[in-house]
Amino acid sequence: MSDLWERVQPLLARVERPSRYIDREWGAVHRPDAAYRVALMYPDTYEVGMANQALQVLADRLAGLDDVACERVFVPWTDMSAAMRAAGVPLYTLESCLPVAGCQMLGITIPHELTYTNILEALDLAGIPLRAEERSEGDPLVIGGGPSAHNPEPLAPFFDAILIGDGEEAVLEMVAAHRAARERSATRAETLRDLAGIEGVYVPSLYVAGPDGALVASAGTPERITRRVLRDLDAVSSPVCPVVPYADVVHDRATIEVLRGCSRGCRFCQAGMVYRPVRERQADAIVRDAIATLFCTGYEEISLTSLSTADHSQLEEVLRRLFRRFEDADVAISVPSLRVDSFTLSLARLLGGGKRSGLTFAPEAGSQRLRDAINKNVTEDELLETVAAAFGAGWRRLKLYFMVGLPTETDEDVVAIGGLVSRVLAVAREATPPAERGGLRVAVSASTFVPKAHTPFQWEGQLPAGEVRRRQSLLRDAMPRRGVELSWHDAETSFLEAVLARGDRSLADAIEAAWRAGAVFDAWSERFELSRWTAAFESTGIDAGARAHDPFAEDETLPWSHIDSGLARSFLLAERHRAYEGIITEDCTFGDCTGCGVCPALSADVVVAGGGRRG
Amino acid sequence: MAEGFRLRVCHRKSGRLRFLSHLEVVRACERAARRAALPYAVSRGFTPRMRMSFGPALPVGTAGEREYYDLTLTRYLPAAEVCASLTAVTAEDLAPLQCGYVTAREPSLAAALTIAMYELSLEGGIPPEELQGSLHGLMGDGTISVEHKGKQKVYDLAEALPKEPEVTSAGDRTLVRLAVKMGEHGSLRPEVLIRSALGRDIRAVVTRTDLLIDDEGVWRRPL
Repeated sequence: MSDLWERVQPLLARVERPSRYIDREWGAVHRPDAAYRVALMYPDTYEVGMANQALQVLADRLAGLDDVACERVFVPWTDMSAAMRAAGVPLYTLESCLPVAGCQMLGITIPHELTYTNILEALDLAGIPLRAEERSEGDPLVIGGGPSAHNPEPLAPFFDAILIGDGEEAVLEMVAAHRAARERSATRAETLRDLAGIEGVYVPSLYVAGPDGALVASAGTPERITRRVLRDLDAVSSPVCPVVPYADVVHDRATIEVLRGCSRGCRFCQAGMVYRPVRERQADAIVRDAIATLFCTGYEEISLTSLSTADHSQLEEVLRRLFRRFEDADVAISVPSLRVDSFTLSLARLLGGGKRSGLTFAPEAGSQRLRDAINKNVTEDELLETVAAAFGAGWRRLKLYFMVGLPTETDEDVVAIGGLVSRVLAVAREATPPAERGGLRVAVSASTFVPKAHTPFQWEGQLPAGEVRRRQSLLRDAMPRRGVELSWHDAETSFLEAVLARGDRSLADAIEAAWRAGAVFDAWSERFELSRWTAAFESTGIDAGARAHDPFAEDETLPWSHIDSGLARSFLLAERHRAYEGIITEDCTFGDCTGCGVCPALSADVVVAGGGRRG
Repeated sequence: MAEGFRLRVCHRKSGRLRFLSHLEVVRACERAARRAALPYAVSRGFTPRMRMSFGPALPVGTAGEREYYDLTLTRYLPAAEVCASLTAVTAEDLAPLQCGYVTAREPSLAAALTIAMYELSLEGGIPPEELQGSLHGLMGDGTISVEHKGKQKVYDLAEALPKEPEVTSAGDRTLVRLAVKMGEHGSLRPEVLIRSALGRDIRAVVTRTDLLIDDEGVWRRPL
């Protein structure tokens, strides 16, 4: 098979940022003679996709297999896709520059709702039929996975199989099952049956709607698909030689995952529910891999990532060891995802010692009442103390995340955000030497609440866009002007997210119609047009307003009822009711078991690096 | 000039990597120096940076056969050894070709390199005589006016082109070799010159084949 490079090259003179399309980065692995090729795709541009850690982890796992090539695919920007279509060049994988359609497996991350049309765009550019039922024996198996796979239904018809949960082990099992099926010349249908036998793998074509609309499993397939969980993160090596991009990508730095899961239990947060239980990596492993990654990549910054890095029981030890190792070097160590209550004074001093990175906290709500309702167990005093510590240690910039439209929110709660920000500013000024106060900035970002599957708020509806806008303007009026940069998410995109996040299989037709009308890169505000979607919903008979705003009844079968995330329905319901009563629930890694059900359902347990529970 | 050992590296920018931007090349070279674990010097200040400085930037899409950067090391290592360590951790299309120390007094690459040699490989079977004639005519006019980012820029061709360009043919392609004088206010892009001479758009692979120092009329390489 000859590669497409000679046909790709002439297109590159006329497109923006051609380095997106050329491969040949340091760390790229080329296996031109492999018998089995897996294409791993992130459904957005190169710059966004290269920041995705999951793809690096999966590529590293697949690199361990004999005779398997794992190659990257991203969605070409609109200038390049137009040039490719005009020249008849199909979507190709970066490493071999061969058509994606010629791969045996196409794995696609499903990061969030606004990438759904990008998936269809990529399949179309690749020349792969959009719907699983239209694919023939020669087409690659199209496999999905990732955060938004927890409600797979709106995309179900476009995928042959979807993995629910951690991919480290399952991806190898899927490749092995497919290779074995090819070995015995199994049909596509037989292969999919084999895949359905792998824990965590959902084959949508084996589940069809019964008389009451609920999905029914065909004979021999499990009624519910149980989420895959990697029980011990240290049992699997983490990638220390990932591809180093030339282009300035979104998070242009090395990353080390220090822990997975977060059981703080914020009631709106899907990640905090579906990645349970908390599994920490050992300090030795983190330090070893961080050093190895910096040497292998040559990056100037390493980020210790997770949903809540400061929660790691050995974080201070890890940071001390890394700072000692890179003393006097031009290497920065950054810790994103900090929580107010775990950002201690000693941590502030430690981090302040290195090249200073930005600081971000997410109080989410302005009043204590609402923070209690959403189980954001952070008090205003804690926030103010933390801000004082950080600015005292040298920080001058702070980003605060809030949410508008949370269940039980009142106008007073919205206005309270402004008061809280004023007090944060005052404390920050106080802790900053007078000569430096001019450079002091607090960026406030307000997103709109989107109810998500497998959370205590999964039954809630979203506020209508008009009401969201009214509350956003309340927020703007309540916000101090000086020293504050306020931004918020556009209510229209949040509305679309809600429709898709809460949707069932009937949404697939609308997604396809929107893509056919030109919707692609919906997460890019300059590309997003709600009118394409409104027309798509109308033409496919979807009442989008009702889909976004109407709450589900507690006894209703939810579109994701067949996906078993391990969380007990009774726990989610109890948490919903506690929200209305303003009762908080503690984090089980610090206190008692909260009965969420995940550990027994998935035969997993909380892993704390220091041993024993924290607290 | 601060202490340290100033190492000059000559490298290529070729193949697919000719599509990199100057900034992308800079970052790639910095990361290669880190991977090679060279004892590079770091600037003092709030955000310490590797002390590395480059010659004139190459545009996206243009290849380079002999591009340069200077890197300050905190301790002496044999130049050949540095070259070998860099080669081991650099993509082939950005590979270092030659390394050598220069004195601290030497002017910066950006100031010293004033002559760029180019080779253009043109598609479309343009007869060499025709192009040679048009270029001759254009040079006879004395100046060329180029629009760049909405502004008109006028180049004095006697100044910008210290030699008459050479045109030859190679199979179905037409090759143009030329020398361009680089000034403080940028330099004439060779494809712009050819486009003006022919009065139409062209498709060309452009390679900067050499970068030279003009030492009172004598051209020499910086290494």
